[in-house]
Amino acid sequence: MTDEATSTDSRAESENRTILLIGSGPIQIGQAAEFDYSGAQACRALQEEGARVVLVNSNPATIMTDPEMADRVYIEPITTEAIAEIIRKERPDGVIAGLGGQTGLNVTAELAEEGVLDEYDVEIMGTPLDTIYATEDRDLFRQRMKDIGQPMPRSTTISLDEGESVTDFDAGALRERVEAAVEAVGGLPVIARTTYTLGGSGSGVVDDMDELVERVRKGLRLSRNGEVLVTESIAGWVELEYEVMRDADDSCIIICNMENIDPMGIHTGESTVVTPSQVIPDDGHQEMRSAALEVIRELGIQGGCNIQFAWRDDGTPSGEYRVVEVNPRVSRSSALASKATGYPIARVTAKVALGKRLHEIENEITGQTTAAFEPAIDYVVTKVPRWPKDKFDDVDFALGTAMKSTGEAMAIGRTFEESLLKALRSSEYEPSVDWAEVSDEALEAEYLETPTPDRPYAMFEAFERGYTVEEVAELTGIETWYVERYGRIAEASAAAAEGDFEPAATAGFTNAEVAATAGASVDEVEMSVPERTFKQVDTCAGEFEASTPYYYSARQPEYLNDEPLNEVRVDTDVESVVVVGGGPIRIGQGVEFDYCAVHAVRALREAGVDAHVVNNNPETVSTDYDTSDGLFFEPITAEEIADVVEATGADGVMVQFGGQTSVNVGEPLEAELERRGLDCRILGTSVEAMDLAEDRDRFNALMDGLGIAQPEGGTATSEAEALDLARDLGYPVLVRPSYVLGGRAMRVVHDDDELAEYIEEAVRVSPDKPILVDQFLDGAVELDVDAVSDGERVLIGGVMEHVESAGVHSGDSACMIPPRSLDDETMARVREVTEDIARELETVGLLNVQLAVKEREGEAQSASEASSEVYVLEANPRSSRTVPYVSKATGVPIAKLAAKVMAGASLDELEAAERIPEQVSVKEVVLPFDRLPGSDPRLGPEMKSTGEVMGTASTFGKAYEKAQAATGKPIPTTGTAVVDLSDDEFPDPDSAAGRELAEGFAEHFELVSFDDPEAFREAIRAGEIDLIVSRDRAALEVAVEEEVTYFSTEASAKAALEGIRAADDPIDVQAVSDRPKRVAEWGK
Amino acid sequence: MSDAYIALADGRVVEARGRVPGRTRGELVFTTAYTGYEESLTDPSYEEQVLTFSYPLIGNYGVRDERFESDRIHPRAAVAREFTDEVVEWLADEGVPAIDHIDTRALVTAIREEGAMRCGIAVGPDATPEAAREELEQCKEMSEHADIGAQVSVTEPEVHPGGGDATVALVDCGAKGSIVTSLVERGADVHVLPYDASVEDVESVDPDVLFVSNGPGDPANFEAAAALVERFVGEVPLAGICLGQQVIARALGGETEKMAFGHRGVNQPVRDLDTGRVIMTTQNHGYTVADPGPKLDVTQVNVNDDTAEGLANDELRVITRQYHPEANPGPHDSLDFFDDVLAMAGKGSEKPPAVASD
Repeated sequence: MTDEATSTDSRAESENRTILLIGSGPIQIGQAAEFDYSGAQACRALQEEGARVVLVNSNPATIMTDPEMADRVYIEPITTEAIAEIIRKERPDGVIAGLGGQTGLNVTAELAEEGVLDEYDVEIMGTPLDTIYATEDRDLFRQRMKDIGQPMPRSTTISLDEGESVTDFDAGALRERVEAAVEAVGGLPVIARTTYTLGGSGSGVVDDMDELVERVRKGLRLSRNGEVLVTESIAGWVELEYEVMRDADDSCIIICNMENIDPMGIHTGESTVVTPSQVIPDDGHQEMRSAALEVIRELGIQGGCNIQFAWRDDGTPSGEYRVVEVNPRVSRSSALASKATGYPIARVTAKVALGKRLHEIENEITGQTTAAFEPAIDYVVTKVPRWPKDKFDDVDFALGTAMKSTGEAMAIGRTFEESLLKALRSSEYEPSVDWAEVSDEALEAEYLETPTPDRPYAMFEAFERGYTVEEVAELTGIETWYVERYGRIAEASAAAAEGDFEPAATAGFTNAEVAATAGASVDEVEMSVPERTFKQVDTCAGEFEASTPYYYSARQPEYLNDEPLNEVRVDTDVESVVVVGGGPIRIGQGVEFDYCAVHAVRALREAGVDAHVVNNNPETVSTDYDTSDGLFFEPITAEEIADVVEATGADGVMVQFGGQTSVNVGEPLEAELERRGLDCRILGTSVEAMDLAEDRDRFNALMDGLGIAQPEGGTATSEAEALDLARDLGYPVLVRPSYVLGGRAMRVVHDDDELAEYIEEAVRVSPDKPILVDQFLDGAVELDVDAVSDGERVLIGGVMEHVESAGVHSGDSACMIPPRSLDDETMARVREVTEDIARELETVGLLNVQLAVKEREGEAQSASEASSEVYVLEANPRSSRTVPYVSKATGVPIAKLAAKVMAGASLDELEAAERIPEQVSVKEVVLPFDRLPGSDPRLGPEMKSTGEVMGTASTFGKAYEKAQAATGKPIPTTGTAVVDLSDDEFPDPDSAAGRELAEGFAEHFELVSFDDPEAFREAIRAGEIDLIVSRDRAALEVAVEEEVTYFSTEASAKAALEGIRAADDPIDVQAVSDRPKRVAEWGK
Repeated sequence: MSDAYIALADGRVVEARGRVPGRTRGELVFTTAYTGYEESLTDPSYEEQVLTFSYPLIGNYGVRDERFESDRIHPRAAVAREFTDEVVEWLADEGVPAIDHIDTRALVTAIREEGAMRCGIAVGPDATPEAAREELEQCKEMSEHADIGAQVSVTEPEVHPGGGDATVALVDCGAKGSIVTSLVERGADVHVLPYDASVEDVESVDPDVLFVSNGPGDPANFEAAAALVERFVGEVPLAGICLGQQVIARALGGETEKMAFGHRGVNQPVRDLDTGRVIMTTQNHGYTVADPGPKLDVTQVNVNDDTAEGLANDELRVITRQYHPEANPGPHDSLDFFDDVLAMAGKGSEKPPAVASD
């Protein structure tokens, strides 16, 4: 027995060791907040073991980059250049690569390959590099699986011998070869894939021999190496994932398995996923479990990882399976598995990397057991992805092998129906389909056979139309067990419409939903249905008493028994507050709101107030079981939040921090608390004031009263009215429908024709669907200001200057702190305007103000007094997406300050002071165009970015260049460039500004131009172009595909030039806390 | 209107939905496994018990007799949050009362806090709380089922040929089919003997290993098996699983005791004291070896509560497991136990350990 000694050793070893932890960078499709969660958990685990943690991540909107999370925090690009520099400075003993997603793995591999790790004697901790290579190289992986006898999809190659040509074959000879190949992989259907073709043509499932022969003939002709790969098709099999954990003693466990409802062929990130598996018998499950352990042992993984299987019922008692792939690291699925079971995978992975054994790590949930166990759960977990379908009209959202979703929601219930309905509610997705307009044929072809974000709703619709379970199962390829339960939901909903409320309630609808379906009042429904109670997530299905306050609600069965078991164990006697989170990550509502929510929780706890969280995003820090005093994994609706208030006896609710999701729930929640007679208030700025800020007319009047300028504008209910209004205001004008939020369908139009076209094509104005027409402040500098007010004093967190001009959504614009284009006068006015608005809205908490600064007409361009007018575009008395960026750049934790003032403190009591950084921090956004083929890759008034990075340096140029590098698309500094200024967005090529721009690039690049747009695109495809300045959509779509850097606005092109000029400056890597700031007030 | 009642020893009567009618009684226990309901329901160790599934949805992948562990359902009744129609049909065919639409988590936590408890069940259109209480009143403690072995054992010896590499005498105290299968797969001929087999019965088999199986209830009620252990120890290699471990420990001077609510599930972590490695095991027992006695060493322990999971004496050639290495349901982590048993008898194949250490 050596475990005592081992334990002491590992502790002694890790003490005083410096560990480098690499984050995953910006939020993007396929890599969301899960790595903030895992990184934050790992930081804490490593520090518990006495290690000194050096953290690097380029994403400022994360909790992990908070100064208190690690001993040294670097917000720097995740590039070998920057990290090598950090290694030189910090001299870490080891690096943990498996916690920063693919980004972290890749950069660690590159650092090893470049010799940096060897040079500075940095050990790769946890999973070795060889393993990483073995999982990423298909052939290598296949060989390793073959060595241990694990089945992968069978595969064979049809190839031409040297000197052979496919035209030499007669039909019979080719057919023979194809038939032999098909037999070798187990018969039709198969996937035929042509290797090494341009553009990846010719891959697909074929189940007809004649078609296959034709395809092979074509493939052999096209293939550069004369090969066609024939693989057993596992499309339609059940897709499963197993989360595995292994330590250095070879103790190896499965944390859980996850079953995709959508069959094989749809990326697991795009699939509705259920934990634990429902349709796999025990012996089949155990076979895959054993296979998972064997594979992970063979690969030598230490820590958490994930293995994918395909399974089908082949008539045997256990069914048959294939190994699909292994992720040798913590992943999105591990975040889901952690939240689904309560097993902290990242935490345990970090400790295992330091040499701890599983049975030496405490199970914090029970406090009685260890990490060496397999969680048992007594509930059903369902995850539903969230897609940006509303943002990209041009993109085909048929689900397939590539991810298009930006985030996900998870829900827990005691039945599948309950779990699914809670998950769908949490995803806040509404299909934009009028089912009445959809024929049966279209329903089948477009919504059932084709998997899309709308499919669950289409299934409900099909049942409503009388389709049978068998029909729906056949059309969707989904297992009958699941389809049957979708059917039950539809049935329950129909019963509710007839006045029978109980089936719908127990299926998982809220009372409010049942009431809406039935046309009844919530009170009526409430009286006749069983109540919901809170149950505990305890990792052990009730076997041990658990102390961790992690809960979900479930409707009681219809039979009432005395006092139903209610497991909420929070202290109801102390002052407590419920913080409402932001739900799934989506465009416009990213990880920054989780940052805000977590800060609010921490601030409350620092102030001695118990903080409870309501949220449903499994990827986040806010839903970690030890972030709050009570974690309630629930959909964000008034009814379900009110349940939490009731269960916890909370005194207040904070809705300012979770983005639009939480703000929107404010008003109904206030009404629901009132209805139930609960003594609980919405804290901070009143719901009324938040609404006022969004009510255009009332807000206008308020600004007029304060003497604050706004762009002029009005509402038009017909095309004629719109044209009149536009002419009065003077072109260009900004137009948008009044009934959609968030910049959707917003456009800048320059003349009557464009306006008419916009109305015609985009919105179709009518009296009940008016459009808004506003003066467009051409050439104005846009600003964002984040501030905190305690009702008296206003603290400005930071003033940000946008790189892009008005016309690009503020969320998509790069921006800088501090601003560089404003004179003292203007800054003073910015402060004044912000303070006036804060006071007028009686803000208590956060306030975000968007401003535009425009030089007064006809005045000299010099910095003469009051040369500019400051316009207010928008004011929102709540957290904004720029809050974490401001906090990281200035070092002032404004979200925490806001939560504390909302809980009653004054800014003076908190000794809060403003800080102005002495260096420039540039925020740049990450855009998802490469993931969404067909999308318009030009910046515009509609927000499309998924995440952000920050680059800091002493000059704007260098900071911008670092930020670009951090997005993963560094600006090239030499080569061939196209500067195509033909679009109105750019200055006339013959103007001074136009020439200056072109000449600027000519200093670094060879400039070429194309008269023929097709030739332009061909040149991009051929890799002849390194940098593009253009708004030619078709060309830019090709640039996206070919990963060629482009700039679609004048402002970004100019910024890029500055970046190129600063590219040779030293990279200047510094910990955030070392970057200089002075205590000074903005605008004073 | 509810048509099912469970009267609990703590005085409560809980209402639920009846799925299979009938009246019965037994010790209320729970398992935390989410797959393997067919194997669990046919596990003879659940005799005289009422099995509650803590996982809410039971029956999702149907019912197939290839997955059965014995020829009938053993629990007196089954309780879940939701049974599928298919599993209900099976329970009905075998006349086993079943109940769902009940907050099983509330039941599980009650068992956790108050221990496995006696209960009475009444299901059907005429069911009443009183009927359930009457059943409860007649419900015995597990240890009072003195001849429970007779309910679960073969009455006549049975032979399962496995190729003759070894001869195993398996004392059937309620053996799961997978124990037999695991031995046969490894080339052993398995002679299944009744739970009350005599010394002569064993001698007539002349086994390479005397194997005491799992079984229901209190090991103190299996005196005949204990007598065989006493008689053959040192002479014939001994192996035991679950109740078999307890019977062997008692026979060799150890003590057993009743646990509060036992271990039932497929995620029980067991650490081998020699290698340090932790494996996941299937368990189903309400009694445990409190003291292994002077002759046996504890070789494996439960990570959660340190109870004895493996006992051995190399000299006397005894090796036992408290958990179920034969799995079904549950992890296949410990199938190599059967190799170890045959190797101990000098009859093992040269099969490498299932897991290479590195």
